[in-house]
Amino acid sequence: MSEQEYYIPDGTYWPIIGSIGLTTLFVGFANQMHGAEWGGSVMVLGFAITVFMMFGWFGLVVNESNNGIYNKQVDRSFRWGMSWFIFSEVMFFAAFFGALFYARQLSVPWLGGADNNIFTPDLWNAFSASWHQMAFMAPGSVTDTVLQSGTVMSFPAVPATGIETATPAMVVDPWGLPALNTALLLASGVTLTFAHHALRAGHRNQIVGWLVATIALGVAFLGFQILEYGHAYHDGLKLTSGIYGSTFYMLTGFHGFHVTVGVIMLTVILYRVQKGHFNADNHFGFEGVAWYWHFVDVVWLGLFIFVYWL
Amino acid sequence: MTEVVIVLIIIAILVALGFGLIGMVKGGKAGSDKMFKSLVLRVSLSVFLFLLVLFAGYMGWIEPNVVMFDAPVAPAPVQK
Repeated sequence: MSEQEYYIPDGTYWPIIGSIGLTTLFVGFANQMHGAEWGGSVMVLGFAITVFMMFGWFGLVVNESNNGIYNKQVDRSFRWGMSWFIFSEVMFFAAFFGALFYARQLSVPWLGGADNNIFTPDLWNAFSASWHQMAFMAPGSVTDTVLQSGTVMSFPAVPATGIETATPAMVVDPWGLPALNTALLLASGVTLTFAHHALRAGHRNQIVGWLVATIALGVAFLGFQILEYGHAYHDGLKLTSGIYGSTFYMLTGFHGFHVTVGVIMLTVILYRVQKGHFNADNHFGFEGVAWYWHFVDVVWLGLFIFVYWL
Repeated sequence: MTEVVIVLIIIAILVALGFGLIGMVKGGKAGSDKMFKSLVLRVSLSVFLFLLVLFAGYMGWIEPNVVMFDAPVAPAPVQK
């Protein structure tokens, strides 16, 4: 093999710093969960070391790239590395969508006696095999309580007779914040595509403008998501609110985390664009982040449709 | 029927995203072109699908999964 085929980087201390950072982070986290007073501080220290490592290590790679050290073989390695990372992300969200499907279509109906299973009303006090917290009782009807959804979850102990319930408040309205957030995220996909086009055409000022718009839309999405969580939590939907609450927060929470990471990545790309790191023919860093953002966008579209509509 | 169309468009979006990934891994001018075209298709289909879902909901072709929670505070006993 010629030298053109392989690139051997110099030795570096960043991996060991990363290991120390992650170890510190998790030791702190675990001990905080066990109630140790020092757990929180150690966790923050570990997080700081990890962020320091990411700045240092990624900065080193960017500098090596800018100095023209990398050849085509390295370029291929980056592309394949990104594709495996994406594969793991696809599997990650596929598992959560699978959980949503399994709980909603199979396990909750089975627990409620669907197909050949026996009905299990005594599985838990006042268990109701409903996916959502529908608990909707017509005024005047006699009922025991407003039921929570899903499987075995907490129920307010309300006497079984003589109680009339008010119509439950509609908390998550698909026409409200979810639709607005979907529009925001889809718009960010459009602005990112314009930025991508501008980069390929070599119009740097336009790239900056479209990227700033994309980042702003992502931040707006996160803001409204926090607002929606506030509403839902205040009105009784929690991570512990049965299988629906768990699945809802697991999916939307991890998605929100990915949007946060995407916003950080886009901000780094914006900085690199301003520094002139990319040109029309060579901009893998931009491509990787752009694809990631499109993926996060599609995941949300799937969430919007499967959680709120289908 | 509307649900089937929606799911088919979602599959088309995923395929477009997949072609975008293939273009990115391939690299070079051809790969870059392929990636960009696939992502343009993915964005266009996504916007169309979003509008279709809203329109279908407005027309009553599909029903939203309205999520309801606790009644306002504790229900008051009522004289029977």
